[in-house]
Amino acid sequence: MNDDQLRDAFAELRRADAARVPAYVAPALSRRVGRLRVGSTLAFAALLLIVLAVVMIPRRPPQPSISAWRAPTDFLLQTPGRELLNSVPDLKGTRQ
Amino acid sequence: MEQAELEQLHPASYAWSLSCCRRDRDEAEEVLQDVYVKILEGKARFDGRSSLKTWLFAVIRRTAAARARRRMVRDLLLAKWARQEVEVAPVEYSESAEILLSALKKLARRQREVLELVFYHDMTIEDAALALNVSLGTARVHYARGKKQLLAQLNGKL
Repeated sequence: MNDDQLRDAFAELRRADAARVPAYVAPALSRRVGRLRVGSTLAFAALLLIVLAVVMIPRRPPQPSISAWRAPTDFLLQTPGRELLNSVPDLKGTRQ
Repeated sequence: MEQAELEQLHPASYAWSLSCCRRDRDEAEEVLQDVYVKILEGKARFDGRSSLKTWLFAVIRRTAAARARRRMVRDLLLAKWARQEVEVAPVEYSESAEILLSALKKLARRQREVLELVFYHDMTIEDAALALNVSLGTARVHYARGKKQLLAQLNGKL
């Protein structure tokens, strides 16, 4: 096989391809606009998700200071008759 | 560069794009659209250092390579189940054309590209070197080695 035969083989391939060339379509510059629209829509959706996440995440209530804190079981210390132990009984009247 | 010039070179551009996209016709059309948009938006400018066709072929080749890289990264990132395999109907060629395509596939990429530019697109080796962005010496080596291998493969088959 020589160069001429090789050229002929390529020419046949070229003819076969030429029969299937799609028509020239004026480049759709709107493709770029379309891409931009898709990009901006995605960016907006991401922003919306971030805002929703910030709003929806429950916030922890403010912590009380240690001096103001009362244990929830403090009421158990309030026993019945406790006021008797907080005062001294008056014995003057009983001496006479 | 005007649309009329692009339209005039469209058949040759499509054939070269087809070659750069491993003969995937859909991908070749996508590449061409990207190239045309790139040119009309002024992102790729013809500087007159070569012929218009040579420059256009270089842009097509770069664009096809960039798209192939992006697709490779996307395929790596996506899980296999998420990939959409699209069945493409094979194009039927004559027997001799099929033999030639099969032999071309066995060549190294650079060798195949130089040979296609020279024999298919009737370019000189100098222009092929410019389109492939390699030195003239490199293009000559690829041309000589590629042609030798191609002839050896085709010998007796065509």
